[in-house]
Amino acid sequence: MADTLPLRFRVLHYVSTVDKASAGEIMKALKPEYGTEKQFTKKVFVDHLLDMKANFILDDNDVELDDKGELVIYYSINDEGRRLLKKYLPKGWNQN
Amino acid sequence: MSISGNQKAIMMKEKLNANFAKKGVFTGLFSGCTWGLNSVLLGLALSMVPIMGESAAIFAIPLAAACMNDSFAGLWLLLYNGGAGRLKEILRSLKTFPGQMVCVAALLGGPIANGGYLLGISLAGPAYALTITALYPIVGALLSRIFLKQQIVPRVWVGMLLSVVGAIVISYVPPEGGNSETFYLGLLFASLAALGWGAEAVLAVFGMSMIDPKVAINIRELTSGLFLAVFVLPIVGGWAIVSQVFTLPGTLGAFAIAALAAAVSYLAWYKANTTIGVAKGMALNGTYVMWGVIFSVIFLKSPLTQNLVIGSLLVLIGATLVAINPKEFFKKGEVA
Repeated sequence: MADTLPLRFRVLHYVSTVDKASAGEIMKALKPEYGTEKQFTKKVFVDHLLDMKANFILDDNDVELDDKGELVIYYSINDEGRRLLKKYLPKGWNQN
Repeated sequence: MSISGNQKAIMMKEKLNANFAKKGVFTGLFSGCTWGLNSVLLGLALSMVPIMGESAAIFAIPLAAACMNDSFAGLWLLLYNGGAGRLKEILRSLKTFPGQMVCVAALLGGPIANGGYLLGISLAGPAYALTITALYPIVGALLSRIFLKQQIVPRVWVGMLLSVVGAIVISYVPPEGGNSETFYLGLLFASLAALGWGAEAVLAVFGMSMIDPKVAINIRELTSGLFLAVFVLPIVGGWAIVSQVFTLPGTLGAFAIAALAAAVSYLAWYKANTTIGVAKGMALNGTYVMWGVIFSVIFLKSPLTQNLVIGSLLVLIGATLVAINPKEFFKKGEVA
């Protein structure tokens, strides 16, 4: 198995492997890798996603309200995000 | 008017993104404020260092201070990241290319820019050197436009220009006749400083698209502090200063407290740069010159000269223009 990626990097990578994903879905998927760490909180994930959106490497074109009326944003990777991953993803990690 | 679920969700998302950007603007201003505090506290700590001859005053003392400031700030940040469970992230980040770019950013912004700044002042005189180094936000904005393709609206350019002019007015000192042989070399070093700080921000922002800003700044401070300690201080005789400081608990404490302000400021600066872009982040951080004046007047009872008042006002107007779109502000009280 390749080295564990920094969390933000891994989130970007994970989003590249799916059509779209919300913070909750990403957390569920990455729980086996990072779940025991203190930084594994919703706030941290949301902040990473908002920052990557602000840096134009993720898009947030799909939104909905959940049963409780809370906002759910689905993020998807764009061309710039893919370009960064292709160039800088360490060996041992596959880009889908 | 009835709003469907989807439209409501879109509006909520827009609001969330706008609030996130607004928070970024305040983080940028906060970084400027705490950097001004760091300048004043570092000045106080430096005044507690025993006099060690004129030659030491030019390079050894400022570089030793820069080394202690970065190293202590790096240690404070280790405590912070350790508490938040992010220590592992530091090693993980260092193994990736973006993390390594943050180290390069550290060397550009730390030893190279700091060294260029000090050499520029000593060779070309403060009048010219400080004017050139004050241009660093513009250099950063230009580099971010070229390398990160970040869009900068005319309003932000104007605001940034006003801030830079304000910073120059604040740090203005009457020029002395330059020594022609070293004068141009001094200008070159001062330009290197502006280029170093500008390039630091751009490289760091590139790295932070993939690694956590809180981790990036920790790497930056430790890299810069370590490089200064191992490669620069031995050349300029800086270790004599550091070992002196370590024998004086009061002075050591003053440096540690100043470094705490530096750690908080840098943390905020890196976060702001990645959230609102290099141009805005740097311009808001640039308000430190004004904050430095305010803190000096309040705490050190420094005299408030006409230059300080005019310069600070220019910085304030410039930073406001960078942060706020007047049209939207008057329309709805929203920050652009």
